[in-house]
This record gives sequence, structure tokens and C-alpha cells, in this order.
Amino acid sequence: MGFSFELMVFGSTIAALIVMVFLLYYFTVDYRRNLLGESASSLSKEESNLLLSKMRREISFSAFFMDDSKSIGVRYLITSIALFFIGGLAGVGMRISLWFPNPSFLTPIQYNILLTAHGNIMLYGFAIGTILGFGYYLLPSANKVEKDTLGVVKSIMYWLFVIGAVFIIFSKSTATWYFYYPLVDQLTEAGGGTYSFATLIGVTLILLATTVSSVIFLKMVFLDRSKSIPLSKISMFSWSIVSAAVLVITSAPVSMIANGFLIYDLINPVFFQASNGAVLGYAIMFWFWGHPLVYIAILPAFGLIYEMLPKYAGVPIFSYRAGVFSLLLLMIFSAMVWGHHLFNSGLGTIWDLLFSTTSFLVVIPSAMSVFNWIATLWTAKNIKLTVPMLFVLNGIVDFVIGGIVGVYSADVGLNAFIHGTYAITSHFHWIFIGLTAGIGFGAIYILFPTLTGGRTYNVPLAKVHFYLNSLGTILMSGFWLVGGFAGMPRRVAGYFGIFQTYQDVAAIGGVILGIGFLIFLINFAYSAYLPAKVDVTNPLEDEVQAI
Amino acid sequence: MNKATPIVLLVVVLIAAGSSFVWFLNVPGGGVSYQQGSYNSTEVIVLYANEQGWNYNSSNPNPTLNEKLHTLLEFKVIEQDGLPHTLTIAAGPNETTNSNDWIVNVVIPTTVGSITWVNWSFANPGLYTYWCTVHPYTMVGKLYVNGTSNSTSSSPNASTVQVPSTSFLNAGIQHQGSGTYEMADNNEQVW
Repeated sequence: MGFSFELMVFGSTIAALIVMVFLLYYFTVDYRRNLLGESASSLSKEESNLLLSKMRREISFSAFFMDDSKSIGVRYLITSIALFFIGGLAGVGMRISLWFPNPSFLTPIQYNILLTAHGNIMLYGFAIGTILGFGYYLLPSANKVEKDTLGVVKSIMYWLFVIGAVFIIFSKSTATWYFYYPLVDQLTEAGGGTYSFATLIGVTLILLATTVSSVIFLKMVFLDRSKSIPLSKISMFSWSIVSAAVLVITSAPVSMIANGFLIYDLINPVFFQASNGAVLGYAIMFWFWGHPLVYIAILPAFGLIYEMLPKYAGVPIFSYRAGVFSLLLLMIFSAMVWGHHLFNSGLGTIWDLLFSTTSFLVVIPSAMSVFNWIATLWTAKNIKLTVPMLFVLNGIVDFVIGGIVGVYSADVGLNAFIHGTYAITSHFHWIFIGLTAGIGFGAIYILFPTLTGGRTYNVPLAKVHFYLNSLGTILMSGFWLVGGFAGMPRRVAGYFGIFQTYQDVAAIGGVILGIGFLIFLINFAYSAYLPAKVDVTNPLEDEVQAI
Repeated sequence: MNKATPIVLLVVVLIAAGSSFVWFLNVPGGGVSYQQGSYNSTEVIVLYANEQGWNYNSSNPNPTLNEKLHTLLEFKVIEQDGLPHTLTIAAGPNETTNSNDWIVNVVIPTTVGSITWVNWSFANPGLYTYWCTVHPYTMVGKLYVNGTSNSTSSSPNASTVQVPSTSFLNAGIQHQGSGTYEMADNNEQVW
């Protein structure tokens, strides 16, 4: 079933009704007055936004009707968690289908749709969404901002983000998340997907939202920061957001331009045609953004580890300056390594060696951060193994394992062998599940009293979530790694029977991961449903004892 | 926090994830839509996976196969040149690039001399095309499934041998959609 006329009419009618109800609600209910009291009516919008952005705000649908930084952060957090479950179910579906060597319940086209949706939604929807969410939520209080302006711009960018995510879901593209040119040009079911151009539009909208939000983050840190905080004392999370924002601003526009060329090429092919000798041009322009993207996804997680680790270790971070240096060095190095995705595409030996060398150099700042965390743990007097701390420790371990596999892959010779295998999938799933998702959910646990208005999470359920998350990652990524070095090809709907052991164990791991995150969702709803018991403070924003 | 908020969030997230999953799977052709027909006899068809043709060393490198309905066709595909091949079958006189129309699509291992068994019993009579998606110009032939007449093979090299339907080959793992798929060098080694 494609986009039938009846479906379009029905869908747009429903959408219009929802928007009308939202507008009615917006103009009849004044949430500012509810939160700030009667004095809200005498304040200008900027003044009330500044007050709102300094409050300890909970997750609430009223965030969709206000445009201060905290409300925008809450919006992004809700959206990215919903997108995480959409993308996660696609991933679990692929794992179950790969139980047998020949696809058991997915045809190759369905598999490719799930593969593309999983990649796009997880990277653009979840990874970028959580970064924007935590950035908007934590930066105002971390920097004690003196202004909270551009509310309308932030709100418009949020809705562009949502529309982009909806485009990605609805397009059912099969062109994978990197849209290599000759495939994405074939607008058929067996090619790049009949509506794959909608994914291009959606990704470009999300890139636009991310770029503008990054500029706003830099403004919040450098221009709106309270004069009482000198630049040498701003939080590590702010530094990590600065690194990620600079990476976005320098690389995302290149990808937006490439996507614009590509959309034009679908109508009138001139830019990336083989006759022009520029087929590789799109891949180069894409990976100029595509590699910084993965650092954009992990740098804020680094910052959150730097913030969370001292709270549970009881000592300040071992070396603030080394941490800042490593984050900024990661920002510089990670912009120079994108060519390692194209080792087998014919860039030339000199370029391959250059990108191989820079890829090895990334080890230096990464290891600086890891040793900084180890030194902090080493000097700690009393380490509290609470749920967020468990996620932090698991994230560090997973990052080390995934990072070492990445170092292997940076070797040009070995890369020719493992590039198309599950070893690469294993490499980035160690890091994305352990670091991006794990630290994200750990941060939600540490912010739990604030986000739910004074509730505490159910600790046994949260620990079950953690252990299932950790075990699932080890089973899935670990067996992918072994199978990948044995030559198990990735991105395919079926495989040779000799790889069935690796695929079956990975499928069990994937299902375990899915159950773990479902337990998180149930725990969240159950704990937030119970009556409020504690203060709405949290260790990340207030000087309170971490529990 | 309003008591309804977490419940609404839970429901919205679950509905969004579930409906998106259903939406992703809702493509023309849907899931595996090709069912095997019943059979009361078995035939072995030997094919060689070589880029010059399915029966490369004969004068007719791509034999036209004539088979009868209610027969389990056991394609014994022997890898010859170490190149990647597939055995793909679709209805109609020509190949199709739309993988939803592929009744059978099995990748042949590149180990020279390895034998891949592809078993399929066609549910409907008619004209089918079998080919290799990697070499669609040199490895393509026709397959007639006849509802009434006895089976004959036009090619002397594509040997058609009658074996009992209780052959050990039927003990292989049945995968819905692509027939029995075994990859074995000899009778003992069955993956």
C-alpha cells in the first residue's frame, strides 16, 4: 500500500483537527500563570521565559505550549524517547527475522526498510534528539543564564525536527542512512524506495533544526552565561555541548547542500551522475558530515559522564583541564577522519593513509578521557553503585571495547576485509548502546525526581533494566564481533548457514535489549504514577547529595 | 506531574512504536506470500553455478526445464567458478528486478565444488524463469511447470532423476518462502 488518495485525505483531516485542538488549548490555557503565579501577567515574555528556564521543570505536555529553554528540552526528550522505541522495535524485528539463514518473516525489501528506518531514526531522531533535549534542559541551569531569548526560533526548530522524523518514518526508504547516489536515484520498491526523497527532506529538516539549535547552544554558553562563572569554570557538560555544536555548525551545512543537490538530481540528474565522474561526490559530502555525526552523538555523553562520575565517586573530576583539552581535541580530530568510511571506494592510497593516521590519532583524546575517569575512580573514597553510576561504568567499559574495535578498523588493510561485515556494526553498537543510549538513560535516572515532579524510580526494576541492557549489548555486539571477523556480511536480509550461531545469539541479545528498555518505560510510568515523595532537586543541577 | 501524564506517555510511545512497525512492513507483496504446493514425487535437477551458464559445458548452456505439477523439485546447484551466484525463480517469461516477485532466491556459496540444495514445489502450473541475479544475461533459463503431462527434460545434461519422496533431503529445515536450503559437501555435513 502506498500513499493512496483516501489515506491522504483522511490523514490530513485528522492532522488538521489535532492542530485545531492544540491551537484552541494554546489560546485558552495560560501555563505561565500556572507555573509563575499571578505575577506572570505583569512580566514580559523574555522575563517569564528566563524565570521558567531556571525552574526545576517536570515532564509535562504543557511544555508543548511554552517556548523557554527547559520546555523545549522537555519536548525533545519526550520525542526522542518515543523515536527510540520506534527505531528499537525496527531493530528487534530485524534480529528476529535473522534467526534463520533464509529470512523467516521479512522479505528483503521489508528488511531494507527496517534497516534504513532503524539507522535514520536512531541517529537523527534519538541520538541528536537527546543531545538537543539535554542541552536545552541542562545548559540554562549549568550556566545560570541571564537571558533566555529566541523562544520562537527554538520552537519552530523543534517542530521542523518532528516533521523531519515523521517524513523519515512515512517514506519507507530502502536507501540506508547514507543515501549512496546510484541507489537513492532509483525510486522503486527494489531500488532506494519509492518515496526515499521524503527521507532526504526529513533528514535535511532535522539537520537544519540541529544547526540552528547548535548556534543557540553556543549563544547560551558564551553570551548568556552568568558573569559569576568564568570561562575556566564552566561545566564539563557545557564544554562537551560546545564541541558538539561546533562540529554540527562546521559539517552539517555540507550535508544539507549535498541533500539539496541530490533532491535536484532526482528531477534533473546533473550533479552526481556517473558521466560527470562525480558519483563519489555525494559519498564524500555525506561522510564529511556523517563521521562528525557519530562524535556529535557521543561527545555530550562524555560530558554527562564527566558530570555524573564525581557525584557518585565523592571526589571532583581528576583533571578538569585534561578533560576540556580531550573534548576540544576530539572536536578537532573527529572532523578530519571522515575518509575512513571510504577506504574501499577508491580515494587513493595517499588519502587512505592520511585518514588512517588521523583515525589512529583520535585514540589520544579518547584515551585521555578514559584515563581521566579511571583516575577519578582511583582517587575516590566511597563509590556508590547506584543505577546511574552503573550505567556510567558500563558506558566506559563499552566505549573502551567499541573504541578498540574502531582502532582495528582504522587499519586500511584490515578494513578491506571487515568493512562489509558485522564487525563494524558491532563497533558502533558497543558505543551507541553503551554510551549514547546508556548514558542518556542514566541521566534520565539521575534527573528522575526533577523530571517527574518529586517521584523516585523503582530501584530493583531499574537495576533489571541496567543488567538486561548490559547483557544484551555483550551478547549482541560481542557475537557480531566474532562473526564479523569470520566474515559475516552486514546489511543483508539472509546469510550463510555457518553464521547461524552468531546471528541467533545476537538475536537473543537484541530481544533482551528490547525487554530491558520496555522495563524502563514501564518503570517510568509506574513510578511517576505513584504519589510524590521527595524534593524536585537533582544532583546535576543542584548542590544536593546524590543517592 | 499529573497522574495521567506517565500513562499517556506510555500508551503514546507503545502505539507509535507498534503502528510504525506495522507501517514499515506494509509494502506491496507484504511478507512471504509464496506458498509451496503439495507433492507426491521428487525430482533432482542438477545445475552448475558458472558465469557462462547453468550448464556451461554443453551446447545449450541454459536448458529449458519441463516439470510437472505436484513434484518437489530439488535443484542440486554445484558451484563451479568460485564467483558469487544466486538461484532465483520468478513467474513469467523474463527476469524481474522486483524482489517481491521472487519465488525462490538462494545465494550459492563461492566454495568451488560445494553443493547447495534448493527444494521447491510449485503451487501453480505455468511458465517460470530461473536465473542468477549476479549474472542475469548469461545465466537465465525457462522452467515450464505442466499441470498434466509427464516431465521431460530437453537437455541431456540437466539430468532428471526420480528418487523416492522419503529421501533424506526432505529432512532439512523447512523455511517458509524459500524452500529447503541445505549446503553440504557430502551427506554427513549438513549445516
